[in-house]
Amino acid sequence: MVRAILPFVFAALVALPTRAQQGDVQIGLADDAIVISSNFSGTDVVVFGSIEGVDRDVVRVGDYELVVVLAGPREEVTVREKQRRAGVWVNGSGIRFANVPSSYSIASSAPLETIAAPDVLEPLRVGFENIDVQLTSFGQNVEQGRAARSRESLLRIKERQGLYRAREEGVEFLNPTLFRARLDVSANVPIGQHRARAFLFRDHEFIAARTVLLEVRKSGLEQAIYDLAHRQGLLYGFLAVLMAMATGWLASVIFRKD
Amino acid sequence: MCGHAGQGRLNLYLPIAEMSVNVLVLFSMGAGVGFLSGMFGVGGGFLMTPLLIFYNIPPAVAVATEANQIVASSFSGALAHFRRGTVDIKLGIFLLIGGIAGSALGVVIFAQLREAGQLDLIISILYVVFLGTIGTLMVVESLNAIRKSRKQPEAAMPRTRHAGWIMRLPFKMRFRRSQLYISVIPVLVLGALVGILASIMGVGGGFIMVPAMIYILRVPTNVVIGTSLFQIMFVTAFTTVAQSTANQTVDVVLALILMVGGVIGAQFGARAGAKLKGEQLRALLGLIVLVVCARLGYDLIATPAELFSIGSVGGH
Repeated sequence: MVRAILPFVFAALVALPTRAQQGDVQIGLADDAIVISSNFSGTDVVVFGSIEGVDRDVVRVGDYELVVVLAGPREEVTVREKQRRAGVWVNGSGIRFANVPSSYSIASSAPLETIAAPDVLEPLRVGFENIDVQLTSFGQNVEQGRAARSRESLLRIKERQGLYRAREEGVEFLNPTLFRARLDVSANVPIGQHRARAFLFRDHEFIAARTVLLEVRKSGLEQAIYDLAHRQGLLYGFLAVLMAMATGWLASVIFRKD
Repeated sequence: MCGHAGQGRLNLYLPIAEMSVNVLVLFSMGAGVGFLSGMFGVGGGFLMTPLLIFYNIPPAVAVATEANQIVASSFSGALAHFRRGTVDIKLGIFLLIGGIAGSALGVVIFAQLREAGQLDLIISILYVVFLGTIGTLMVVESLNAIRKSRKQPEAAMPRTRHAGWIMRLPFKMRFRRSQLYISVIPVLVLGALVGILASIMGVGGGFIMVPAMIYILRVPTNVVIGTSLFQIMFVTAFTTVAQSTANQTVDVVLALILMVGGVIGAQFGARAGAKLKGEQLRALLGLIVLVVCARLGYDLIATPAELFSIGSVGGH
């Protein structure tokens, strides 16, 4: 039985290098979590990686290109367009999009359009225009043009809020097979589980991808305040009132005129 | 927009607003508005909330957090009036009953407007209407007073009788401290109206309460401020709890910065106010109110740079 299989195993092992010639990618994070403390005002996420399964003596910088994407937890978003009514700008009815990455940061070793053609990037969901957002069933009868305009605005607003960011040249090669990517993370980065995904390209073709997870959380006090507010709203409210009364009382004692 | 604006240690991350802000800027805003409120004897919520919105704090957080701040300033003010015995507790309690009902209703309206995406608009419109009206009245009234005071030494406001319709209302009750015998209906309605404003606009409502108590209920001026502060303190405390429970939009870190700035500013404001004449003060405050009103009004009418807005569904 074993003997019967062995030839196939050898055949597979021999065949492997031709596939491995193309290469694979491995990545790791400098820090496996971002902790938002009181003085947090944005940071860089550093992703280290190596191109595997290639002949280090042959490969040169520039043979491979890399794109690294850091995407935040998915959310449902309502996009509203303002209309002038009776002279005042009023929000119109909204269009809902599901599965929207709350943040999306991208770094690449070269401008995206030089790395691969749009039809290669699109199924990989690489690049702002390829971010996977879906109209929810709620908005299915929405006219095409309006849906497209809303989608475009969603991306534009996210970009302006600093949540969607691109850094061309954000991936640096330390040697032909080792690279380092720096991704921008803004101060308003959503908490939760983020996914860092590296895409390896050669000669405009996609070769391999690898994902690691990154946890974004608030540090002790910030998290405690947030949790209390969301889980124990009533208690939080009473504590907020007590704090205010204590401050008010203290002020009246300190500044008492008599 | 404020994310990378400031640098280093002065930046503070707000856990509920979920943004990084400059402590010095917020503290100065608190102190500045506190100064004005000490100087003019007003709560300052109607200036603070628009300022927070101009600083890109989400309106929902600005409004709810401001209610929390007002608890501090009105409590400190009410304590002083308690010591002097210038609070009509019975009248205050009836205003409060109306106020709590109004505030509860306001919080529900607030949540629905937010869901419908119209909260920011309604907040702005309410501000433009109220600030525009109050500001104009103050400027006109104070300019008249300045003109009169040049002709003759001051004429005290005569304590006239109630309007006929108020006297005809049922459920009359005696309020001894205010020397009043009036129906509880206008008292409850006034309280409720101010309660709604407290929860939707993030104001104490003193700028409505005080004139209404003087001109409609005819409460003697010496107990008006103390009683109004007493009611405002409880209504904003209730609003804080209700907003925390229903909308999770009270940011205690933001509130604390504003409170500390506010109480310090108010002390200096009170001293500065003592040196200025009443009419000049009111004219100045009226002008400030009109400037804030104009800015909010302009934003409503001018074509916005961005016609679209986004909001997360079922999020925070």
